[in-house]
Amino acid sequence: MFEVTQVGSWPRSRDLLRALRDKQQGRMTRDEFERVADAEVRRCVEHQVAAGVDVVVDGEQRRDNFYSFVTDKLDGTRLMSLAEMLDTVEDKAAFEEMLATLDVPASAIRNPTCTGRLQRREPLAVGELRFVQQLTDRPVKVALPGPYLLTRSMWVGAYTRKVYRDKTEMGDDVVRILREELQDLRDAGAAFVQFDEPVLTEVVMSEDCNRRTFM
Amino acid sequence: MHGVRTGLHVCRGNWSRQEDVLLTGDYTPLLPAFRNMHVDQFVLEYATPRAGELRVVGEALGGRELGLGCVNPRTDDAEDPATIVARAGEALQYFRPEAIFLNPDCGFGCFANRCVNEESHAVAKLHSMVAAARVLRERFA
Repeated sequence: MFEVTQVGSWPRSRDLLRALRDKQQGRMTRDEFERVADAEVRRCVEHQVAAGVDVVVDGEQRRDNFYSFVTDKLDGTRLMSLAEMLDTVEDKAAFEEMLATLDVPASAIRNPTCTGRLQRREPLAVGELRFVQQLTDRPVKVALPGPYLLTRSMWVGAYTRKVYRDKTEMGDDVVRILREELQDLRDAGAAFVQFDEPVLTEVVMSEDCNRRTFM
Repeated sequence: MHGVRTGLHVCRGNWSRQEDVLLTGDYTPLLPAFRNMHVDQFVLEYATPRAGELRVVGEALGGRELGLGCVNPRTDDAEDPATIVARAGEALQYFRPEAIFLNPDCGFGCFANRCVNEESHAVAKLHSMVAAARVLRERFA
């Protein structure tokens, strides 16, 4: 009872941010990046175990953000900064105003844009899970982006309309991919799989639910 | 799904420390959707007044599990365990002790380049939650 856990992400160190930038700009191989991230995950898990947390997380140290990281794992996707996406938004002024009002830095936040048919090249988070399992016997929680968040963010008309008829058709692939992932995580021994759907509140609480959200 | 606990996390944004740019409102408009979702646990924000009252979700979804957001990931000072214990006490009006998990309202760094906190503060907040859990377990074991 009263099990202590986290929602998922942990602050990134300067070393990790530098490595992430180097990887994204092609100056560091993926293997080299993973070795840097391994050390960061190890420290994050040590903090949780030392504190007495019951269900541990890996801190999402390997992820650019909690949903954009799928571009590392899925065919048919491309990591784009919000600044890059601005070129494709119909109403640029409104989008820029929304980012400014919400205090969102367009260059620091990246989106997993769908540019082709979606297919898992590798599992989204099974590697993260297995690494934490090597570090501790405690139960492990894994967070995944929810189907609504992914469908809404991945659909960028200028790119996605060339490969999918509409959001519903693309969304069916997103759901299939998440179902497969959930089964794989269960089979690999995950104790807890959490789906993140922050945009749901924006849909029901903001005045204009059809506008382009930044997520 | 059998063999794994599933959860849904819904928050009101976690990209800025300016609380006024994040959304405000309780979970009432989402209750119909929550009821239809086949998940074991709802992982929700309750560490700030922006999230509204626990009663809203408690009365509607008391049969499920609650991941009780009880520390704010965007502030420097760790919450007093007594405050967390009191919040959990409210949740106990609607959820069984076994069905209540303690967690922060959201992650400490959802966006790599826009982390909302630093590690030392995050560690202190973990310790606060664990201290609160110890008190609660003694009280309700």
